[in-house]
Amino acid sequence: MFKKVLIANRGEIAVRVIRACHELGIRTVAIYSDADRDALHVQMADEAFCVGPAPARDSYLNVPNILSTAELLNVDAIHPGYGFLAENAHFAEICRDCKITFIGPSPEAIAKMGNKSQAREIMRRAGVPVIPGSAGPVRDEAAALATARAVGYPLIIKAAAGGGGRGMRIVHTADDVRRALAAAQTEAEAAFGDGALYVEKYLEEPRHVEVQILADGRGAIVALGERDCSVQRRHQKLLEEAPSPGVTPRLRRALFRAAVRAAEVVGYANAGTVEFLVDGGEHFYFMEMNTRVQVEHPVTETVTDVDIVKEQIRIAAGERLTIPREIEPRGHAIECRVNAEDPAREFLPSPGPITAFILPGGPGVRVDTHAFAGYTIPPYYDSLIAKVIAWGRDREEAIARMTRALREFEIGGVRTTIPFHLAVLDNAFFRRGEVYVNFVQRRIDLSAIRE
Amino acid sequence: MSDRSRLDLDEIRAIIRLATEADIAELVVEAAHVKVHVKKTAGAAPVTAPAAVSAALPGGTAAAPPGAGGHGAVSSDGARPAGEGAARYVPIVAPMVGTFYRAPKPDAPPFVNEGDVVQTGQTVCVLEAMKMFNEIPSEVAGRIVRVLAENGAPVEYGQPLFLVDPAA
Repeated sequence: MFKKVLIANRGEIAVRVIRACHELGIRTVAIYSDADRDALHVQMADEAFCVGPAPARDSYLNVPNILSTAELLNVDAIHPGYGFLAENAHFAEICRDCKITFIGPSPEAIAKMGNKSQAREIMRRAGVPVIPGSAGPVRDEAAALATARAVGYPLIIKAAAGGGGRGMRIVHTADDVRRALAAAQTEAEAAFGDGALYVEKYLEEPRHVEVQILADGRGAIVALGERDCSVQRRHQKLLEEAPSPGVTPRLRRALFRAAVRAAEVVGYANAGTVEFLVDGGEHFYFMEMNTRVQVEHPVTETVTDVDIVKEQIRIAAGERLTIPREIEPRGHAIECRVNAEDPAREFLPSPGPITAFILPGGPGVRVDTHAFAGYTIPPYYDSLIAKVIAWGRDREEAIARMTRALREFEIGGVRTTIPFHLAVLDNAFFRRGEVYVNFVQRRIDLSAIRE
Repeated sequence: MSDRSRLDLDEIRAIIRLATEADIAELVVEAAHVKVHVKKTAGAAPVTAPAAVSAALPGGTAAAPPGAGGHGAVSSDGARPAGEGAARYVPIVAPMVGTFYRAPKPDAPPFVNEGDVVQTGQTVCVLEAMKMFNEIPSEVAGRIVRVLAENGAPVEYGQPLFLVDPAA
């Protein structure tokens, strides 16, 4: 097992990883930027080192400074968390060259899954269903329009190197294609340094269902269960649950088989998530594989009792998977992402000092957070300040617990997405489990949300 | 608790020592992550006896205890040194993470010593990172009044390495 792990991240996920390390008896090194001097992860880690100024590209993405810190402080392994360097194949490769274990899959697996059009092609050849669309990256308007003729409208235009909703456009006509192509290309180039796009069929009301897998790189691959992340706004997940209310046992088995196959075909080791879109006819399509721990991993942990972050560390240290191949989920779990954003004002970020912070508690409630009363949310990074996870024997109890937990949660000084979540939890369609990726847009009246 | 606060405390001690030894009334040191304001006499007459100076150092003005909210807590309320007698030293800070070396080779003399006058752009040390030696130029002209980092020590981004008196 490792003696010392550096956490190349900040916020709640850095805190989460530090907790897992300490439970495993591993010393921790936090890195931080000038803007994060008073952050909780800096206080919790055994050692902390400043790696750069506030902008992420100069600190949390500063590979030379992060690796220098790792070498100077003699760490054996780096946990990248999510975001920042987590899906950077180049970084994973440099770690390997420096003889520091990257807690995640191989650079080769990251690279294969990171390029969306390549990943799609690999999946198609492996027999995992993919959404019909362009065979490879679309270079020009003519190629995009040819795909449109072949699969029909509506279509979605995506960045080949993308993720997180950036560089995505939905188009309904040939005129839309012309307009969206240039804009998406510019956005993709700015966000990912790669303007390559691909075009595929857009499903009207699909669910976002993803499968958590764990693979030990010695042949054992386990599907830990699925999560339904259909409650999204502009492709950003806001509420996730496990199990999915729209997945039958038959569909579940098929999804698990496809997810395991996806991991197998790229020689995957460590934790990963295979994302699918599921339509009303129980057809499912591979979207992408995220080669890291997900924000929403706690819902799976809650219904399986598997500590995914500790498993990541054990796998990276060369241990065998000891969890059973088939795990029956226990009850139901929901996670609400509490962001410092104002849902009444287009989810405008609301950074600044937190004047009051009283956590919910009681049976079946878990909160993962790096915030506290007196903490100032810096404006430089993402707006996630807490994840509330509620467990119930069934979905109804989980919804009731989440509702009362969010009412207990008192956050002063900044606007949060709590009122939005309360509106979702109270929505009749949501309560019936009728959710799909455009649920928020179609069913939630954001103008009616008030503090 | 991290090792950071101990490091800072050492830096702050060095700064306070400096203020104590120098014939000045007030010293403000400002770096990216720390601001220390040392005032030797609370508006009293000029001090001549070093012993009295040490005693008059108001502990609360400068060094905060470690753990009291990190390094930000050591800064004073931003009061400007007013009038004559106020000195303002400028730190040279580490622009990157690395190992601090005062000389180009182990047996070579240091790039600079306390008391030396440096020009802007003059190499004052090297920082070793990723097996590369990076020469660090001074961003200020003046006299080196104090070397703050220890030879061979790991330094983090923004850590003060030298104090420079730009007036000298």
